[in-house]
Amino acid sequence: MPLANTPTSVPVLVDAEKCIADKGCTVCVDVCPLDVLRISEDTGKAYMKYDECWYCMPCEADCPTNAVTVTIPYLLR
Amino acid sequence: MQSDARMDEIRDGLSEVECDVLVLGGGTAGPMAALRAKKKNPKATVILLEKANVKRSGAISMGMDGLNNAVIPGYATPEQYTKEITIANDGIVDQAAVYKYAENCYDIIQELDRFGIRFQKDENGEYDVKKVHHLGTYVLPMPNGETVKKALYRQLRRERILISNRYMATRLLTGPTGRVAGVIAFNTRTAEFIVVKAKAVIMCMGAAGRLGLPVSGYLYGTYENPTNSGEGYAMAYHAGAALANLECFQINPLIKDYNGPSCAYVAGPFGGYTANSRDERFIECDYWSGQMMQEFYQELVSGKGPVYLKLNHLQPETAEHIEDILHKVERPSRGRFHENRGTRYAQSMIEMHISEIGFCSGHSASGVFVDDFARTTVPGLYAAGDMASVPHNYMLGAFTNGAIAGEDAMGFADGHDFESFDAGDVAAEQTRIMAPTTREDGLPPNQIEYKVRRFVNDYLQPPKVTAKYEIAQRRFAEIRQDAEERMMVRDAHELMRAAEVWSILDCADMAAYASLYRTESRWGLYHMRADYPERDEDNWRCHVLLSKKDGEMHCEKRDVAPYIVPISDEEMGAYYRQRITATA
Amino acid sequence: MMFEPVGDDEVELLIERLADGDPEVRRVALIELANTAQPEAVAPIAKAVEDPDAGVRLQAAISLGEFDGFEAAEALGIALVDADARVAQAASDSIAELKAPEAAAALLPLVEHVSGFVRASALRGLKALRHPEALAIGVKAMKDPEPGVRAQAVGVVGYLKAEESLPALIAACRDADAEVRRTAAGALAFSKSPHAADALIGVLADEGWAVRECAAETLGKSRFDQARGPLAGLLDDDVWQVRVKAIRSLGQLKAKEAVDRIAQSLHHEVSNLRKEAAAALGEIADPAALPHLEALVNDPDPDVRKNVRWALSRIGAATG
Ligand SMILES: Cc1cc2nc3c(=O)[nH]c(=O)nc-3n(C[C@H](O)[C@H](O)[C@H](O)COP(=O)(O)OP(=O)(O)OC[C@H]3O[C@@H](n4cnc5c(N)ncnc54)[C@H](O)[C@@H]3O)c2cc1C
Ligand code: SF4
Ligand code: SF4
Repeated sequence: MPLANTPTSVPVLVDAEKCIADKGCTVCVDVCPLDVLRISEDTGKAYMKYDECWYCMPCEADCPTNAVTVTIPYLLR
Repeated sequence: MQSDARMDEIRDGLSEVECDVLVLGGGTAGPMAALRAKKKNPKATVILLEKANVKRSGAISMGMDGLNNAVIPGYATPEQYTKEITIANDGIVDQAAVYKYAENCYDIIQELDRFGIRFQKDENGEYDVKKVHHLGTYVLPMPNGETVKKALYRQLRRERILISNRYMATRLLTGPTGRVAGVIAFNTRTAEFIVVKAKAVIMCMGAAGRLGLPVSGYLYGTYENPTNSGEGYAMAYHAGAALANLECFQINPLIKDYNGPSCAYVAGPFGGYTANSRDERFIECDYWSGQMMQEFYQELVSGKGPVYLKLNHLQPETAEHIEDILHKVERPSRGRFHENRGTRYAQSMIEMHISEIGFCSGHSASGVFVDDFARTTVPGLYAAGDMASVPHNYMLGAFTNGAIAGEDAMGFADGHDFESFDAGDVAAEQTRIMAPTTREDGLPPNQIEYKVRRFVNDYLQPPKVTAKYEIAQRRFAEIRQDAEERMMVRDAHELMRAAEVWSILDCADMAAYASLYRTESRWGLYHMRADYPERDEDNWRCHVLLSKKDGEMHCEKRDVAPYIVPISDEEMGAYYRQRITATA
Repeated sequence: MMFEPVGDDEVELLIERLADGDPEVRRVALIELANTAQPEAVAPIAKAVEDPDAGVRLQAAISLGEFDGFEAAEALGIALVDADARVAQAASDSIAELKAPEAAAALLPLVEHVSGFVRASALRGLKALRHPEALAIGVKAMKDPEPGVRAQAVGVVGYLKAEESLPALIAACRDADAEVRRTAAGALAFSKSPHAADALIGVLADEGWAVRECAAETLGKSRFDQARGPLAGLLDDDVWQVRVKAIRSLGQLKAKEAVDRIAQSLHHEVSNLRKEAAAALGEIADPAALPHLEALVNDPDPDVRKNVRWALSRIGAATG
């Protein structure tokens, strides 16, 4: 069976203006227990790559520039 | 820094390292085990291997609201605690480990305090212990609980423990005599393998939190940290260790949809409680147990349901203070959840529900069978925390038993050399894990996982019915075959998810097998068998040990060790009488 | 990378990056330096509290919270007076994490600072250090014009549990600020002195319910017998949470004469109060409570029923 892509609205938002991943910061990517955040090659900023979030919030709490916002995944709102 | 595309690209690789004591899982019990092992022999090498990142991993990744089961001199005694735990677990308890925990946990509190983890103190700086349970006084709040992981991490770095983050352990290696020899793991961002040879191995890999499916259907919206997908149980099983009482499931009360803890222990001291839709308290049971969950479940499905957390009878300042604690420390996204729904604690009650099923001794009583030194039945292999069989451990139990394990394991390592193992086992494990990378086309792990967990809900969730359990076993076997033949992944991250599917399937099989073996009902809702509704003291006042014998799943009975704190029939009976009034 | 980096080379490398011209690079280096948890990291991080960039200073103030001792405390003192409010707040929070007794020397002078925020933060840090010199300083700060400072000062003094601080704590029970009064009432828990008892009894008439609640609880904990009458007087308090504490304390004090008054609460609509009343009547174990309790054996609330049964058995044992 071939794979198709199903769109999903991810709960974690990163403010690209504030994110300093291009200066070497990887804090949110490092701390996420589910390992779902990555630094984008295109923008040099962090983003949510996999929709597998526990909405636990270390990414937001530990971000040095307050660039991360965690919201509740739509399915549980 | 690795760039994005390289980060998850699958690479070939196998390296080998060795150490004296290897700790698997750096959540709560793991860091403490590593620190204690190192303290016992500072010259020895200790490796802490973690699937996520020790900085923020495990059940307490964000923090914790408080100690649920602190035995602090002046407030509770080890005897009293052991008694309560024995009664709450319907007598199926080897008391030595519980008693030892109770004796040692106050020292651990003080040690954690020195690490910089702060507990609530009164205006004179004394521990501000709260009475929540009917009998003993055991709850110590942690208003600054969010600093726990940071403080532990700092301590590990200071003591120069070797930390390996983003490695997922998948199988233990054992030698010709059955002794543990090490572990095989792979990097979840590159798929490279590592073999860690060790003289002793301590497993602290947490609960099996991704077994049942939350009512929302969202795979990661679990009560437990979803990183804990049950590898600890599966690995112990495949290494030949015994697992105890897996039919005693974990089911927790929680905030509906949010699926986070209901925090009776936080709200209780302020006067909050669990109520039905008539605003009335209904829980009879004294201690958090399957019996309590049974009452909860019955109320939920009765005409008085659903169930709520009631705080709106408190002064508005008090309700807001509770909001402040609950929305800040343990699961801080809870405030956002309530905000979306427009719920304020001072005004309306908060709808509750019960969690999906899982394995976790932290809140119930099942797990890898250990004695009072955290030793499993495999020589050199230890287990502590939510995955070990010491009941009602919670966070302080994870710390305390982690410490006990660390100390004893280093003693073992000091007295032994490395155990040999078969290189063929490593190759076979690599092949097993990598199989989904060899396919161009197939089933993604998330769909397979969804299907297993949906059937866990449909068939394994109590009340347990024999025929439904047998259907589940057939479904799991079919899914296992699908996974073997058709599971496919595209990157290293998905490979981790694929490897997790195996643990989830193993845990589902063990849950079904152990439940069918015990032909009675016990532990309230946790093992409520609709076709064997009575507790059968004559035949089942014993542990059930599950293990792998000649490649097959196997169960046997094991006597409960003689009590060191005797319990009179009257005390046990008082508990059971409560139950009758509750179920009548 | 198989292991998190360990060793001194790591610290050296990061110190070099602290000299980078880009403030954001310096900031990331600070985060990583703090992660090493090595003592050698303190000095370079401490220096960064004087960085020209506010973001770097903020990070330094946060990172110092991961360390302890005089050097860290001294640097935090500098950050505490930073012109940027976020830096100052982060420093204040980090100061509250200090545990090493040596840190006190860096904080004590700050208690005299012109800024109330600085004074309060220094006291907040001193509290857990329990430094003997902090006693006199704390007592003095209890007369500070700012209530936030006075509340922290009471905290410092309360932790030291010194009889000689009693007059000051008692005076603080009449402070203009409710939070100061509440903290002071709680802080009196260590004392067995009748003066403490008198002060707490006075507080039972406080206008703030949380203050009355605290005094009611403390009087029971300290087993001040002379409080029995005044506590019974609190049983018609408007706020049921205050009554709960008064009833619990009357139980602890075995206040037989209050049985009838306590029993009135057995019929209150809030079950928390009924539950507490039943428990207290069991503690007192006076047969006079029997008829009241017997009327309640079928209360709809299981916790109330449980306490009623327990109380009845206690009275049975006491009389039988
Ligand atoms: C939401 C919530 C609230 C709670 N509230 C309280 C409370 O208020 N008070 C209290 O006392 N207790 C509470 N508990 C219970 C308590 O947190 C746990 O009992 C305790 O933290 C368990 O510790 P642990 O070390 O066994 O597991 P964890 O801390 O979960 O650690 C397990 C670790 O193993 C790692 N791991 C998993 N699989 C692998 C693998 N294959 N390879 C390598 N590593 C792996 C995980 O990433 C994780 O870091 C709560 C639990 C939860 C989930
Ligand atoms: S932690 Fe913040 S600044 Fe750092 S990479 Fe993530 S979003 Fe960017
Ligand atoms: S909320 Fe938790 S799981 Fe979700 S991205 Fe942040 S750290 Fe990861």
